[in-house]
Amino acid sequence: MFNSAWNFSATQMQAEGNMRDAALGCQVAILLLLFAFGVLIFGMADQGIFSLHGFLIALVAGFGALKLIDKLTDPDPIIPLEYKDDVIKFGVLACFLWGLIGFTIGDVLAWQLAIPSWNGDLSWSNFGRIRPIHTTAVIFGFGGNALIATSFYVVQRTSRARLASETLPWLVVGGYNLFVLLAVTGYPFGITQSKEYAEPEWYADLILLITWVAYLYLYLKTLARRAEPHIYVANWYYLGFIVVIAMLHVVNNLAIPISFSNPKSYPLFAGVQDAMTQWWYGHNAVGFLLTAGFLGMMYYFLPKASGRPIYSYRMSIMGFWGITFLYLWAGSHHLHYTALPDWVQYLGMTMSIILLVPSWGSVFNGLLTLNGAWDKVRTDPAIRFMMVAILFYGLATFEGSFLAIRPVNTLSHYTDWTVGHVHAGALGWVAFITFGAMYKMVPWIWKREGIYSLRLEAWHFWFALGGTLIYVGAMWNSGITQSLMWQPYEPSGAFTYAFIDTVDAMIPYYWMRAIGGLLYLIGALIGAYNIYMTVRGADLPAPDPRARPLPAE
Amino acid sequence: MKPEIDPHSGQETTGHEWNGIKELNHPIPRVFSLWLWASILCAAILWVLYPSFPGYHQVLGGVLGYSSRGAVNDAVIKGQEQRAEAYAKFAQEDYETLLNDPALKATYQDEIGVLFRDNCAACHGRNGQGQLEFPNLRDDHWLWSADPEEIQYTLQVGINADHEDTRMAEMPPFGRDEWLEQADIDHVIEYVLQISNQPHNAEMAHLGETIFEENCAGCHGDAGHGGYENGAPSLTDTAWIYGSSRADIADTLHNGRRGVMPAWSGRLSESEIRQITMYLMWWAD
Repeated sequence: MFNSAWNFSATQMQAEGNMRDAALGCQVAILLLLFAFGVLIFGMADQGIFSLHGFLIALVAGFGALKLIDKLTDPDPIIPLEYKDDVIKFGVLACFLWGLIGFTIGDVLAWQLAIPSWNGDLSWSNFGRIRPIHTTAVIFGFGGNALIATSFYVVQRTSRARLASETLPWLVVGGYNLFVLLAVTGYPFGITQSKEYAEPEWYADLILLITWVAYLYLYLKTLARRAEPHIYVANWYYLGFIVVIAMLHVVNNLAIPISFSNPKSYPLFAGVQDAMTQWWYGHNAVGFLLTAGFLGMMYYFLPKASGRPIYSYRMSIMGFWGITFLYLWAGSHHLHYTALPDWVQYLGMTMSIILLVPSWGSVFNGLLTLNGAWDKVRTDPAIRFMMVAILFYGLATFEGSFLAIRPVNTLSHYTDWTVGHVHAGALGWVAFITFGAMYKMVPWIWKREGIYSLRLEAWHFWFALGGTLIYVGAMWNSGITQSLMWQPYEPSGAFTYAFIDTVDAMIPYYWMRAIGGLLYLIGALIGAYNIYMTVRGADLPAPDPRARPLPAE
Repeated sequence: MKPEIDPHSGQETTGHEWNGIKELNHPIPRVFSLWLWASILCAAILWVLYPSFPGYHQVLGGVLGYSSRGAVNDAVIKGQEQRAEAYAKFAQEDYETLLNDPALKATYQDEIGVLFRDNCAACHGRNGQGQLEFPNLRDDHWLWSADPEEIQYTLQVGINADHEDTRMAEMPPFGRDEWLEQADIDHVIEYVLQISNQPHNAEMAHLGETIFEENCAGCHGDAGHGGYENGAPSLTDTAWIYGSSRADIADTLHNGRRGVMPAWSGRLSESEIRQITMYLMWWAD
């Protein structure tokens, strides 16, 4: 039979114990190194914020090291016969906290664009400094924590195995959130390497690298302990996300720091090579973090919540390998009509066209899974969130492939359509599937009867949907208007419009966007309140059988 | 576990189960397979037509011989030719002829307005009304004469710009560099307020007049009427670049001023510079 995590013999226990000590020793060593790294920066830094970052690194690493050393001396640890969910709870709370920060700053930026003087004319509050706080808090803080938390949940349930380490999961969420914190607190002071979605400087990148390798190791180790014969499709996606993000993060952040005393570094690549590396990274951060990871979420929480089987195993396979293979070619469509050589542009464009097929394969596989449970879309707002998420995923992937076609790209390149496209994906797909999954997972891991209020959940849904539609609709209009105003010439060869005319034309759309974003933020606040009240609610009276792993047959 | 039949769809499952999740064994719909092959075919056709895969020595160039750079160059040349033809008059005729051609303004004012808003409006405002530190271009007060040839020359070489023939004009920092005593500066301020018809202390202004004649009149003229030859503004009118209040004038006297107008030669064509000059002249009409 298959090896179950709970069916150890005495020798296995002994071997496992030795392994555990060795692993703990390794973790302590890494944390102590990080502690020394933090102290070094703290001592040598030539500016206050960098010094503070060194202090934070030393604080978190030192705290972790002390905790682990305490564990090392614990002679006979009792590992309970249940899934390890405490770390998931931390991830859920971090996800909502970063989400609220990210959404708020996003809407502040939207108002700044509508009313430019609202940046207060201060260096740290201007658009360029604050915008990466929004993107980092939302993509990495909200999205990343949601993925880490749900991946820990899913891999345990679908493998019938407890996470392969007691301490490593904490290292992962702790290191990861330290990375996000270092990133967003550095931006207002100008600490950035100016690469979109890869702004954090070398010292923060290093912490993410260590964290990510630990995450990969933990995930593989847990899968290896599984008591199921097959690896469920959700885990392929989560694993794809982890592996590719590791690769992207390393290559795009290859840089030489100028000194230990300064946060600045210079990238290894220059010019068009640097741009191509950056958009290979940027596009696949979208493809593997914001797509593959969240598809993993969908493949678990949708069938689980709706009680229906996945529509087609074969579609899952086509979707997974299609997306995995094709995304990695498509990054160059972000650099259409630039100095990038034509062949790279056309290659990226053609792969993007094919990419729509596996993307929509996932869409149909998700929607058709609801066959036999469509009434639940009406009665269960969490399933409604997930269903609409899939629709937005279909919309955004169609849009993505469509805009990757060079002539169509002239309508979106450098215009607000790109912003609208990204937010159709981020607001409509990523956040909707996350909210749907969280409304299910939070009562499950906190062992509550259900969510605190279904009414509030429904209100959240309608605010979020209204906000998204207003936002995306406004950006389609402004983007296409911009493009159509930038391009035309008079018969004499003179421009028809000056650039400032196109800025004037954006004003009503920028107001709409800010209002749409505000609705979305209000929805998220309602959601966060609902989650908070659920967490504070009473335990289920009897132990929930769903929360216990079953020994292998 | 054995495959079973899902009662709702009548489809067999794959026989796997994870925490209650099962999978149906639906085949991939035919339309998806067709669509996949059609996309690949479409991509392959594009690979043949346009530059695509890199080879060992060179890239597959595509049978259409297309290049983005070539297309852009063609479009740029075509645009230049179109504009040269449409705006030939501006390059060839002198300003007097151009100003006496009433059809010209009606035909070209809107189009040249785009050129103005793209290049000049950031400082001078989209209607040329100016803003603090940047002169109003519509009030008929000129620093270097109202003659279109002189305006054209300012556009070409700029003021305090990086052009080798640039116009130079600087208000020295009398206070900061201690060229004048603070008391003298205070007196000059009152005198400047007096000649610009603003409320002032007459006694101090009287003391300031001599200091003005000795230190300021060289550029600003005896009565502060300014001079076109050195770009020093008249201090007797209502047009103030850096503000007319006592505090503004004190700031100017203490720290000096050295405003910059960029040189547009090289960035705009000679014809475009003449077009913008005409655009300013039409405002003055």
